Amino acid sequence: MPLFDSDFLKKLEYLSLVSKRVFRGTLLAQRRTMQLGGGIEFSDHRDYTPGDDFRYLDWNLYARHEELLLKRFQEEEDLHVYLLLDCSRSMNFGSPSKFDFARQVTAALAYIALADLDRIAVAAFADDIVADFPLTRGKGRILALLSFLENLQPQGADTNLARVAGGFVHRNQRRGLAIVVSDLYDPNGFERGLDVLRHRRYEPHIVQIYDRREADPANMLGDLELYDIETTLGRKVTITEKNLRQYRKLFEAFQESVQRYGNQYGIGCTRTSTEIPFDQLILKMMRVAGAVR
Amino acid sequence: MNLANPTASFWACLAIPIVIFYILKIRLRRVPVSTVLFWRQIFEEKKPRSLWQRLRHLVSLLVQLAFLALLVGALVEPFFSWEIDTARRVVLVIDNSASMKATDVEPSRLARAKELGQRIIGGLRSRDQMAIIAAGTQPQVICGLTGHQRTLHEHLAAVPATDGPTRLAEAVALAGRLVNDDKAEQKHVQVIVLTDGCAKDVGSITEKDNVQVVAVGQRTDNVAITAFQARRSLLDPIGYEILAEVVNYSDEPVECRFEIDLNGDAIEVAPLKLSANEKWSKVLEKTSGGGGLLTARINREDALAADNRAVALLPHREFQPVTLVSASGDLFIEKVLEANALVRLNVIRKLPAGGDKPRRSQAGAVMVYHHQVPNPLPPGPALVIDPDVGCDLWEVGDKLQNPLVTKQDRDSPLMAHIRLDNVLMPEARKLTFTTAAGKPQILAAALTGEPLLVALERPQGKVLILTVNLDKGDLPLRTAFPILVTNTLGWFAGGRGELREALAAGAITEVTLPETIGSEYLLHGPDGQTRKLPPGVKRTTVGPLDQCGVWSIVADTPGATPIQEIACNLANRAESDLRPPEALPSLGEEPARAMGFAGRPIWFYLLAAAWLLAGLEWYLYQRRWIS
Repeated sequence: MPLFDSDFLKKLEYLSLVSKRVFRGTLLAQRRTMQLGGGIEFSDHRDYTPGDDFRYLDWNLYARHEELLLKRFQEEEDLHVYLLLDCSRSMNFGSPSKFDFARQVTAALAYIALADLDRIAVAAFADDIVADFPLTRGKGRILALLSFLENLQPQGADTNLARVAGGFVHRNQRRGLAIVVSDLYDPNGFERGLDVLRHRRYEPHIVQIYDRREADPANMLGDLELYDIETTLGRKVTITEKNLRQYRKLFEAFQESVQRYGNQYGIGCTRTSTEIPFDQLILKMMRVAGAVR
Repeated sequence: MNLANPTASFWACLAIPIVIFYILKIRLRRVPVSTVLFWRQIFEEKKPRSLWQRLRHLVSLLVQLAFLALLVGALVEPFFSWEIDTARRVVLVIDNSASMKATDVEPSRLARAKELGQRIIGGLRSRDQMAIIAAGTQPQVICGLTGHQRTLHEHLAAVPATDGPTRLAEAVALAGRLVNDDKAEQKHVQVIVLTDGCAKDVGSITEKDNVQVVAVGQRTDNVAITAFQARRSLLDPIGYEILAEVVNYSDEPVECRFEIDLNGDAIEVAPLKLSANEKWSKVLEKTSGGGGLLTARINREDALAADNRAVALLPHREFQPVTLVSASGDLFIEKVLEANALVRLNVIRKLPAGGDKPRRSQAGAVMVYHHQVPNPLPPGPALVIDPDVGCDLWEVGDKLQNPLVTKQDRDSPLMAHIRLDNVLMPEARKLTFTTAAGKPQILAAALTGEPLLVALERPQGKVLILTVNLDKGDLPLRTAFPILVTNTLGWFAGGRGELREALAAGAITEVTLPETIGSEYLLHGPDGQTRKLPPGVKRTTVGPLDQCGVWSIVADTPGATPIQEIACNLANRAESDLRPPEALPSLGEEPARAMGFAGRPIWFYLLAAAWLLAGLEWYLYQRRWIS
């Protein structure tokens, strides 16, 4: 069964129409990007984090309240949307697999952006960027994009988001919205990669995907060999009820850390299970974006 | 220590595959995961290859081998020689007589005795053997000597409750015969009697060696019907007499009501005030043409219900058509016959002609001929009074003047309650019997030997001839005359159903079965139980009738009506007196201490240890303390 069939395209068209009707003028190219220093119209403040440009610190506020806050300005320009798709082997897990789900979400977001006259580019990554779909514009490019996505395969060794982000930001390209579609299972921590994007004035957005069996592993009691499909390494363990309880706590803590990171830096963060249909997820994302604005 | 089943030790070879399986590396189930990031955090908290981790596989192997060793140990059935030497043979005698139905202990004395018996069985040692004997009605071996406790438990639970008498002495004697075959083993023989002590012979068994009496129940008051019988009156054709006896087996006075009904219709209600240990006895005279079931009841709730009710069967009386042929119309004879409530009298003046058909209601009637006698005498029963003429059975001779009765057959039922020696009889007929009369039975004769009252039993019907002239003399005025007529009619009727005795529970009786070829008969008990009677016999013995109520014998065909019924009552003073002797011992600690859980065979403990070990292993495995 093909990943992007005619039903899928119909759903994309539907999502595009919904985005135009409901969020007219508030999405992507028709909205103003939240870029620091680019514009002249003040928008709001945010907390200072190490690495931010001191020039945008609101010293007056600091003098009054002794709080380091950064001024944010709206910059009026066409939005460039960069979709960073995780192709690591860990994504090839679950039913349906997280990889398929991620590709569908990526395709949907790209279609909406193209329909909104935005420019989009897709970078597939694992331990590094493994494939690129160059910056493009117009709905007519959607089929090429779908073909690109369909030809992608899970690959690579350990996910390394920092290396990927480093390679991505050093490209000669304009800043824009960087949507990371991944499970964020980075042994070195997902925060470093996202920090790089933020520091380079990209506007990151996280779409974290997980499988139900990852959140609640059933039938894993007893002596067994855990086979890591990303590293292809095995580990013989004896899992007890206590271990399962520990696992669930750790997974929950990981999910909360992702959300906490997004909240801390004002980054859009969408966590989803593969059980939710992709179109429902997109609608949910649009609803959240509308509510925020 | 010896082994009863040494060949079972070959099962120990199972240790080899167990060890092999432990030596071989078992392939673990492989579970793919998207990342081991979280699992790594969990398992790196503790050192993966600790000393215990290495040892736990060995502990697991040792637990398995220990489990196998225990199982094999149980299979070879080890035992000590002293177990054989000290094995006991116990006979449990359980009293299941009527008094054991008493409910002074919940739910009943028998149930309590069974409960005690089950405890005693549970305390048997491995090599002990036990037999169970029921001591009610008839001593009966319920279960032979066996050491299989489940069998003993089942047989003891199946001991039925009966209304029969206690036969403790016979049961103990039977127990002695059951285990007494080897004198050398006498010291290990024990007879345990579970009884309420409500029996005459309980004192004799308590003195015996190796007999331990365990009492159940307590001293309890009881009012009982100890006798209830009914019979037809010998004088009154429709009368009957009831003998009833009620005893207060209590040390306190009681008040109650005694009721009798016939087929559900009350015929007697008597309020009773009985002092301590008082016996009330009475004979009641009643009348009823129809028979049926007489039921006596005491309206007092006490511990034993079986003796608060008694039954008796009253024989049914049939109406008897009688045709009196008398030209002159003797009023004495007519009135005597009319006075009999069962007689349907028809009086005619002339002898019926030979071709005359009798009326439908008079078919098979008893013919009473006064003076006139047909020649020949027709078939059927006939009473001939003062015949003027002869017939095929006799010839009439001269008249006898003032005959004195000097000889009277006192054994004949026809002469019951009759004395003719002081009756004035001025005239009688002299009769000479022909050979067709067979052998006449002279019931009364004159001094000269002339017969005055003669009975003939011919194949065509019985005949009674009274040669006395009733018009002269005072015989019609004496009580002997109506009694004679009543006896005669009863003799003609065959005398059936005069007395159907109510039997005491536990009795055995003989019954006569109809001679029907190919028929089989069943004995139905009051509690619904059915016993087959031996086929092809005319007389058979039924019993013991161990339940109170009405027993019936019916043909083994659907919808058959009873051909005979037998009333059965408790009627046993020893069973109704629910006050056992004071000196009777109760169950103490001695039997429970002598037996107990410690008496199990070694294989039982080994098996229990194996299961315990299996449970422990399961517990440890669930917590992953062993693999």
